[in-house]
Amino acid sequence: MDFYFGLVQLVGVHTLLGLSAYIVLLTGQVTLAQAGFFAIGAYVAGMLTVLAGWHLVPALGVSALAGAITACAVGFPALRVKGLMLVIATLAFGEGVRLFFFNFDYQIAKGEIKLGPVGGEGFRQIRFFPENGWSTFEVMLFIWAFVVAIMALLWWFDRSRYGAVLRAVGEDEAAAQSVGINLTAVKVSAMTVGGAIAGIGGGLYAHYTTHIEHSSFNVLVATFAIAYPIVGGLSSVFGTLLAVVFVQALLVEGLRDLGDWRNLLFGALIVLAMNLRPRGFLDPQALGSLKRLFGGDRSA
Amino acid sequence: MLDLLQAVMDGVLFGATYALIGIGFTLVFGVMHKINMAYAAASIGGAYGGLLILKVMAAPAWVVFLCAFAAGGVLGYAVYVTCFHFIPLSSPLATLMSTVGMLLLIDEIIVHVTAGMPQNYPALFDDVMWRAGEFSLRGDLLLVFGVSVLCMIGLLALLYRTKLGLATRAVSQQAVAAQLCGIRVGRVNAMTFVIAGLLGGIAGALIGASVGMLSPLLTTPLTVKGLIVTVIGGLGSIPGAIIAGLLVGGFENVLQLYRGVAERDLYVMLLLFVFLVFRPGGLFTPRGARD
Amino acid sequence: MKKLALAVALAFAAGGALAQEKTIKIAGFGAKSGVVRSFGINSEAAMLAAADVINKQGGVKLADGSKAKIAVEFYDDRCNAEEGISVIRRIAGTDAVVAIGPTCSNVAEPLFGILQKKVADSGDSGLQFPVFTDVAIKVGLARISEWAFRNVPNEMTMYSSVFYWLHQKHPGLKTVYGGVEDDFAHSRASWHVVMKDRAQANGFAVAGESKWLLNDTNFATQVREMKKANADIVAIAAHPFTTCGVLKEMQRQGVKPKILVGLTSSSSLETLQGCAKQAQGMIIPTSFAPVSKEGKYAAEQTAKFKGNADLHSMAAWENMFILKQVMESEKITGKDVQGDRRKIREGLAKLKVTKGLLGDTKRTDDREADKPYLFVQAKGNDWVVLHNPL
Repeated sequence: MDFYFGLVQLVGVHTLLGLSAYIVLLTGQVTLAQAGFFAIGAYVAGMLTVLAGWHLVPALGVSALAGAITACAVGFPALRVKGLMLVIATLAFGEGVRLFFFNFDYQIAKGEIKLGPVGGEGFRQIRFFPENGWSTFEVMLFIWAFVVAIMALLWWFDRSRYGAVLRAVGEDEAAAQSVGINLTAVKVSAMTVGGAIAGIGGGLYAHYTTHIEHSSFNVLVATFAIAYPIVGGLSSVFGTLLAVVFVQALLVEGLRDLGDWRNLLFGALIVLAMNLRPRGFLDPQALGSLKRLFGGDRSA
Repeated sequence: MLDLLQAVMDGVLFGATYALIGIGFTLVFGVMHKINMAYAAASIGGAYGGLLILKVMAAPAWVVFLCAFAAGGVLGYAVYVTCFHFIPLSSPLATLMSTVGMLLLIDEIIVHVTAGMPQNYPALFDDVMWRAGEFSLRGDLLLVFGVSVLCMIGLLALLYRTKLGLATRAVSQQAVAAQLCGIRVGRVNAMTFVIAGLLGGIAGALIGASVGMLSPLLTTPLTVKGLIVTVIGGLGSIPGAIIAGLLVGGFENVLQLYRGVAERDLYVMLLLFVFLVFRPGGLFTPRGARD
Repeated sequence: MKKLALAVALAFAAGGALAQEKTIKIAGFGAKSGVVRSFGINSEAAMLAAADVINKQGGVKLADGSKAKIAVEFYDDRCNAEEGISVIRRIAGTDAVVAIGPTCSNVAEPLFGILQKKVADSGDSGLQFPVFTDVAIKVGLARISEWAFRNVPNEMTMYSSVFYWLHQKHPGLKTVYGGVEDDFAHSRASWHVVMKDRAQANGFAVAGESKWLLNDTNFATQVREMKKANADIVAIAAHPFTTCGVLKEMQRQGVKPKILVGLTSSSSLETLQGCAKQAQGMIIPTSFAPVSKEGKYAAEQTAKFKGNADLHSMAAWENMFILKQVMESEKITGKDVQGDRRKIREGLAKLKVTKGLLGDTKRTDDREADKPYLFVQAKGNDWVVLHNPL
């Protein structure tokens, strides 16, 4: 059973990564920076629980704040660039964060061992969960409490004016501006929320793997962050969750028996998925049919 | 002072490899306004393809390069068909993700076939070093630079002196209007990819030759550097890609000399940010460029 | 009717006999994807080959006197930390009693981190499953958990011996220059913590060091620094890809040190495939070469399962036989899975000496190994034994 709990934990953390990109993608900004905010959240939370002895919950609060502040700071200059340039700029930012942690040393001696991140070697022994006797099941519930809360928040955004405003900016900026929407406020706020979510996700990641290093937050992670919402579909938060389950549960673990072919199928299935469903698994049509299926036909 | 000059020269020469990759990225972007994230992987894949001929018979280096050239073209077409042909233009995110999928797939195929081991690559002028007193310049990198310039001339000639080039430029400016004029957009786009692929095959082969080995490890850094060079050079500008490639190569090597290897890449990112803030169009914003 | 009864009786007997076939599962895991793919392939082959030999000799003797066959199942962790953790949890959920792996140090560290740190600590909810590592070599990892054991070479001892021997054999050589892959934890530690220190301890002066990154392809500046230092010995702590890159650049710039020393993991096929010509004469200390009868046998058997015998895969082979010995001495039952796991852990912790393919291996208090080693040198297309210091 522990294996399944562990898998659900992994799906949860990856969903947070995906959701942090989801909200930014809604505004039409393709961001490869989420891995950077993820990294910041991871190191901040890790340092607080290991070096300062904090409980995990306030540590996650601080990492959410750290992610949010950094994202806000990135959001403003990001306004100046569009399209491909934004992709590359955010990629460069993400790599910059990774390189920062590659050079970052902060060690405190506790007894005879030194704890804390050491540049290229990473940050080991982030053992809040096992040291406090949390079982795999409890950790899973803890992670999913955050996932459910954040998904509920984003789902609520989607049904409120804020969500409509986000999508309006994503669809057509000129039109949105002409109805009086403040583009700056919308885009930066989306980036900030995304940064906070990534911060929490990163903090959880650090604690459930117990060891982080700069290469844990590389370009591939940044790519997965946007892959989840794109493959899942931007029409609904559940699309991201579906994509994470598809990739992590089905492709990675489910296809394990296929041995060597698993990795080849990975890339091939992503290409296939994008060709067959360019707007994601849960694209507007699929969502519409699901709504009709579950909610009865409410449309006129 | 001598150190600095040597570092600049070493870096600029190595930047020729970035320039070659950058040309391909910028060509696709200039025509289709889409990024092909799989480009560097396809180029390296083309280089591996060139090695296939060695399995059948012992061949001199230039034959291997020719095969890489051809393999690159084939891969370019494959990327076009799988990532750009069927996906509607209104889904830019889908094409982006699809090229990422192709990147992973090509990488994986390479790893499978070679069991992940680095493959020795035939080199041209590998042992030629131009020496001038204290300085030395790598002969093979001078060749790479020469090839980049030739490619640039060839591409510019293609774009501005041939019917295909005219059609390509028309499609890049106004795809619908071009279609109304009877230009087959699908065919033009496919040709763009094939040409970029051919170029990529040569780029991959030359990079393999100058590094001395081919390894799947080459893909990610080349993709990142290629994208950075494309932006700094100006999206869609071929001469821009070359100059930017040389600039980035020289810059990073100089910074490595002074600040060490751990911080080097940080400074390359900073260079990019400086450009994005002060000159977002890049070095050479092409005429009539949108976005 | 009689015939039918006889047939039924025989069927029951046969079924009964088949039911006697007990198996003990040993899991293996490592990187079977990506650039380090060959490691996983070789380890798996070595494990399967060893299991085959053990089974042909009758298998493992259980507590109740019966014999059980060893079954090996190998999992691919793709050199990814999260997947490694998932894999070990999956393994713990099966009836496997011990696992051999992982390949990558960046998987080993998080993985050991989720294991129970101290056996006596009942408040620690970490996983209670013994892991016996064959490949992941970054220094000091087994200390992380009492359930983690490693059978990997001790670079401190080996490089101390290398520099001592070099000093004795070539008293005219005075200086060492280092080249290090700085962003990979293993190679980084190998230069800064091991090679530099040991060279100095054995009478050499360190003339300087050049750094590069794992993915780098341009070594012009670094080799220029190396050329200026003009040291007698150049020690390169890097994996095959960048090692070959540096060696080729050295050839281009005409840098020819009197002695070349390399990183343990680079004494493999990869280096020779990439740059045999430039690597000629490179000296590397390693914990395996097919010199003894057992070593040659192990290499042959592993080749039958399509694997290559090198210091990494042969550690997996050794681990299998060590585990068989531990299982028998601790009298595992084959029925109580968690109990058997605990017994295996106890048994591994108790070991002071184990049998290795080069000789006896001492086990240290922090669950690491002090393996016998020898020096190999690149000659032609092979790594040939240069000197056996023991």
